[in-house]
Amino acid sequence: MNAVFTLVFLASAGLCLVLNPDEFLSALLSGGQKAVTVSVSLIAVYCVWLAFFHVMKDSGLSQKLTRLFYPLSKRLFRSDDKEALYLATSNLTANFLGLPGAPTPLGIKAVEKFYAAKNRYAADMLFVLNATSLQLIPTTVIALRASYGSASPADIILPTLLSTILSTLLGALLVVLTSKRKRKKK
Amino acid sequence: MKYFALVIPVLFLAVFIFALVKKVKLYDSFTAGVKEALPLAFSLFPYIAAILMLSELFEKSGLSNMITSFLAPAFRFLGIPPEIAKLVLIKPFSGSGSTALLSDILSTYGADSFIGRCACVSYGSSETVFYISAVYFANVKYKKLFKPVIIALLANFLTVVFGCFICRFL
Repeated sequence: MNAVFTLVFLASAGLCLVLNPDEFLSALLSGGQKAVTVSVSLIAVYCVWLAFFHVMKDSGLSQKLTRLFYPLSKRLFRSDDKEALYLATSNLTANFLGLPGAPTPLGIKAVEKFYAAKNRYAADMLFVLNATSLQLIPTTVIALRASYGSASPADIILPTLLSTILSTLLGALLVVLTSKRKRKKK
Repeated sequence: MKYFALVIPVLFLAVFIFALVKKVKLYDSFTAGVKEALPLAFSLFPYIAAILMLSELFEKSGLSNMITSFLAPAFRFLGIPPEIAKLVLIKPFSGSGSTALLSDILSTYGADSFIGRCACVSYGSSETVFYISAVYFANVKYKKLFKPVIIALLANFLTVVFGCFICRFL
């Protein structure tokens, strides 16, 4: 991340200097502005979902779900930390259902727990699954297509679904493959 | 699409009723959950600010346009319409930026055109990799992001190629 940040920032700043120096500060400020608006709306989203997940935890439902998915998630993440596995599986479920904003707080906590247990493989796996899109129904796209007068906005679901499945499988496969290679080196 | 709106209220009702049966003090439990929201948002703020400032600079400086026109021939070779190259480039950085680009593309080329459909599939099947990596690993010290980020970017990019390919048939 440091390398990406440095590279993109310096290249953009350098280009700004040559092409349009006026844009530099205004771009940074509007980025900061967006960060404030995004964060404020995130607080609202987290209020809703963290409250929901807390009730779920207190009711014992989380523990039940964890037990249900345990055989599967144990293998997927190569971990036996029940708490972390619960967070990770709920994160994936929330992704599938397309609950807006719900996966993030779960994912952050799960990654934290996996890292604390020195299980980088699990953290990487969870991140890659999240970063390759798991949403079954692309709701934003369908809404946008409808607003631009598409004849059948929903007929994008099939190609999108196929692509999403491919990217997720590909990502997961790459995580598995690269981790195996490392083990052999050791 | 209407029944998707039912998922969330049904989920809340089911869980809350179950909690009542289990004699959970709903109000106490609910507020205890809300309590975690502010600290979480605060801990994420620096990372969100940095990535959004970076993506704004990336676009406003003209760097993204330059890279787009530089990559266009390669994209065309892979079957990606050059018109959506910028979308593919911006998506890893910013969700709102790429949504704006997608609606630009749909209004310029039409929602049912080949270009429009490719744009929709590319948008729908990829994710904001840099943004997610910044947020998900925000609370971790000594993070090692290189490998997972590269894997996610690669998977997303190959999917765009695949998505544009199947848009020719589906």
